[in-house]
Parts: sequence; C-alpha cells; structure tokens
Amino acid sequence: MGKKRKLGQQAEVAEAATPEEVSAPQRPKRTLLGWKDGAVGPVQENSSSGAAGARGGVPVFRNKEKVLITCSRRIMSRYRHLMLNVVSLLPHCKKDNKVESKSSKGATLNELVELRNCSYCMFFECRKQKDLYLWMAKCPNGPSVKFLVNAVHTMEELKLTGNHLKGSRPILTFTTNFNKDPHWMLLKEMITQIFETPKDHRKSKPFHDHVFAFAIVDDHIWFRNYQIVNQGGIEETTLVEVGPRFCLNPIKIFGGSFGGPTLYENPFYISPNQIRALEKKKKAGKYATKVKAKTRRKMHELENPLEPDEFADLWRE
Amino acid sequence: MGGIRREDLFLGKEDFMGRNDDESESELGSGSDSESEEVPSSEPSKRAIYNREGILEKLEDISWPENVDWIHKLAVDLEEDKDLDVNDDIVRELAFYTQALEGTRQAYAKLHSQGVAFFRPPDYYAEMVKTDSHMLKVKGRLLEQKKKIEEAEERKKARESKKMAKEVQAVKLKERAKQKKEDIESVKKWRKQRQRSGFGADKGEDLGFNFDGGGGGGGFERSKKKRPGVAPGDRSGGSAKRNVGGKEKANRKRERRDSKFGYGGRKGLKKQNNAATTDDLRGFNKGDFSSKKRKKNL
Repeated sequence: MGKKRKLGQQAEVAEAATPEEVSAPQRPKRTLLGWKDGAVGPVQENSSSGAAGARGGVPVFRNKEKVLITCSRRIMSRYRHLMLNVVSLLPHCKKDNKVESKSSKGATLNELVELRNCSYCMFFECRKQKDLYLWMAKCPNGPSVKFLVNAVHTMEELKLTGNHLKGSRPILTFTTNFNKDPHWMLLKEMITQIFETPKDHRKSKPFHDHVFAFAIVDDHIWFRNYQIVNQGGIEETTLVEVGPRFCLNPIKIFGGSFGGPTLYENPFYISPNQIRALEKKKKAGKYATKVKAKTRRKMHELENPLEPDEFADLWRE
Repeated sequence: MGGIRREDLFLGKEDFMGRNDDESESELGSGSDSESEEVPSSEPSKRAIYNREGILEKLEDISWPENVDWIHKLAVDLEEDKDLDVNDDIVRELAFYTQALEGTRQAYAKLHSQGVAFFRPPDYYAEMVKTDSHMLKVKGRLLEQKKKIEEAEERKKARESKKMAKEVQAVKLKERAKQKKEDIESVKKWRKQRQRSGFGADKGEDLGFNFDGGGGGGGFERSKKKRPGVAPGDRSGGSAKRNVGGKEKANRKRERRDSKFGYGGRKGLKKQNNAATTDDLRGFNKGDFSSKKRKKNL
C-alpha cells in the first residue's frame, strides 16, 4: 500500500511539474510526510495547488479527490453489487473492508478515511436486510449527507445493454433545479467532486464515452449512466444505458463528517420502518375491528333482550 | 419501479386516519390516542431543521475555486421538465435520456472547441466496465428476444393468411354456385324459348340435343330404355369404360388405396414396429375408455 501511494504521488508531481518547468525551476523539498512548503490537508491541496507552485501568481488547480467506498456488514447482495458497480465507475476510489454498522461507526470510518488518505467517503449501510442508506461524507471536516437509496438496479441486469471504457471520464449532467436551494447546491458540489474522475488520473482513459445523469424529480436524486455510442458525428450519437440505476432520497445533512450539527432535514422523509409499521397496523386493524364489532353486537343483544313471544307455545301440546 | 411514492403515503395515511376515526366513534373509550402520535406526517414537518447559512458556509468550504477550468468538472446544467410524472416509467426515463443526450452534445461542443479528443477511436481497446462474458450474455438475451418476436410475427402472419384463404375459398364457392345457377337458368330460358317458338313439338329435331333424356316433357328423369354396353348405374353413358380418361380415374383410386394399405411385397416386415413407430400412439383411441363412460354414467 505504502509503495503504491508513493508512486502515485511521484507521478502526480511529475505531471504537475512538467508544464511549468520553465517558470518554476526548483522543486519543493520533500519530507517524509509530504511537501515542505506545501499544504498538508487534502482540502487545501485541492483548493490551491499545494506543492506544484504557482505560474505567474495564479494557482494551478489539481483535482486530487479520492473516495473511500465501503459498506456495512450483512449487506444484501444486490446492494453489494451496486457498491461494486460504483467502484468500477470511479477509478479514483479505494474500496475497503466492511465496517460494522454501530453507533460508533462514524469514528471508525473517519479513522479509516484518514488511514487510506482519502478526501471523501461513500458508505453503503444496509439495515434489516432491506433498506439501503448511503452516506456521502467529506472528510475530515464535513459536511456529510445521509440518503435513503431506492429503486436499485445493478449493472449486471441484462436489460442494461451498454458498456463503456473502465476509467474514462464521465460527463455529468445536472438538472437546473440543483441550483435552486442551498442544500441541493451543496449536494451538487459533493456529487461533482465524488463522481468526476480527476483529469489525468493515472487510471483514467483519455476519451469520453459515458455520461451520468443526475436529476431531481419529486425531491429525489435519480442517477442514470449512459454509454455514448459514436455513429459518425455528434448529431447521430445515441445513448445506451449501462447502469447502475438508483434513486437517492436525502434524509439529513450534517456539518461534520459522519456527525456534527444537523444542517438540513428532509421534511418529507418517512423512514421505511414507519411505512412498514403503518402497513402492518392496517392489516392488524382489520381483525381488531371484526372482534370489536362482534363484542358490540353481543353487548347490544344482552342489553336489549327480545320480548317473549306470546305465540311461541301455541302449537305445543 | 421500486421506491415509495409520496402519493402512496398520502393515501395510506388517509385510510389509516379514516379507520381510526370510525373506531374512536364506535369505541366506548379505550384510549387509542397514543397511536396517532406515531402516524408519519405526509406534510412537510414544521420542526425540520434548515440551516441555510450553515449549508452555504460548508459549500464555500468544500467547493473548488471559482475559476476552475470546466474540463475538471465536465458538469453540464440542463433545464428539467417541470411537470414530470414520476410514476410514469417511460416518460421519466425519456426525460433522463434527453437530459443526458443534450448534455453530451453541449459537452462535445465545449471539448471539441478545446481540441480534446472525445470519441474513442475504433482501434482503441482497453478494459471495459462490463466483462466480455457478461456482454455475451447480454447479446444472447437480445438475440433470443429477437427470435421470439420473429416467431410470434410469423405465427400471426400464418394465422392471417389462413383467414384470408378461407375467405377466398368462400368467395370462390359462392361464385361457382352462382355460375351453376346461371347456367341452369339460361338452359331453362333457352328451352322455354324453344317451346314457345314451336320447335319443342317436333321430336325429330329434338334428338340432336337430348337434354330431356329423350323423355320429351319428362325433364331430367332418367330414361328407362336399356342402353347397350352400359352399366345400369353409369351416368356417363358408357364412356367411362370406353375412353382413356375413365380408366385413369379408376386407376387413381386404386393407386391411392395401394399407397394407403399397401400392395404386394412381404407383409411381415410392414407389420413390425420399428424405432419410429414404437412410441407412435396416434392410431389408438385416446381418453375414450369405457371405464370413464361408466364413471360418467354413475
């Protein structure tokens, strides 16, 4: 692992340094933990070009987001496959072992993210073998979002017939209602940073042959992935769906990563547990009303007894 | 598609509430108020936290610098359909498709103007997201579907052509019947005309066209005269025996019978079963056993 990381960093530095070799003659000195005069945290690395120096005072931007993807224990196979699909779509991600979904998972995950040198974390949490929750967290300073995932279709489904290069950079398309509210804006920014493969990433490929569609419909974020089929020119281009498909229902946005103050709460959100309880109660109510009606009838009969029939003994001898 | 729509929840809630009300009316007061607290709200809850400033602050914290090149983001914003019905799968998927397609076109224009390669050249092979074996499966499924559709279409066509043939046949039969009727009519007419003009009385001339079978006014009645060399039931007047066509006709019948029942050769081999006929039970009467009949009678 350590070796890999070193290589990656060296490659990045080499790439970054090449364009401005003329203007920046000396490289910053390297220490064991990073660069001497560069910023250490990944946030700063992203916002300004930490080590690579400046060209005429304008900081060169480098996208260095790395995403840790993991899931909870006892996750359903379908959801695990969804996670693996997402892993195959993001060449800049690192997959980690399953994490126990306890109340202390936030701390564990934060530690894990730091260990793996990542700036984002996607955590697929499966509860009750039924419900999938997806956490997207910017580490270590937040924010983090918790989604409920609905309508999951994995890439393995045979009706999704497209295919595309592994690691080619996707085109992200958003609907304009992402710019309407602050929380959607935040989600859009996070999604962009997570799902866009960094330019010149070593595992990325230099062509564009798939497109992600993020759309807000009915206060849910719908995700689709299409292959761009080249049929000789952009006008004749068609799309074929590759998958996966899912629909994200935002539940809460927190200030920190996997915790912290709540910034947003979905007012429409009803947990699947409540929905199931409701259905159960509806079913249970049917029997209860029947029993109640029976007792009521009995009480009524007892209270209002029939008058004795005066002709009852007429034919008896 | 999965996912629980809010409308469903509305409905569910209303049902639930309605039932609850009935209950509380009918009940003698066994206090079921605690239930109502658990009823999930379908309207936006008032207590939901929405810290706009906090969110915007966080957004500023995490967002990339303003002047970041578009090539890093590759994000395209597109106008959405305002009144999109979520529950209509086809409409919804179409909306996503058009969004993606329009986004692709815009991105292509931008990238093209920057001189960045967009499409993958046909000779560029690299690892794909889905494996070849999986794509083989996909292909197999597509082919199977295509075959199924073709077969169904063929069946439909055959059915239609059969129907057509039946109609054509019916028309033909009708036409034939009509033709026959017309012929008979014309003959009758001709005969009447002949009678009216007085030729009918003359028997000597009548012999030439012996339509009445020689019986004068007897119509199509058979003549009682014995015909030489002609069998009693022979309507062809002995021509069947004489000419070649008749002989052929008889032969044809014989041939058919020969082909059906066999003629000549050793009989033993024909009556044995062979591999093809062992399981062939077509000749047997299926399902018409006497035991069944007895059962029915009982």
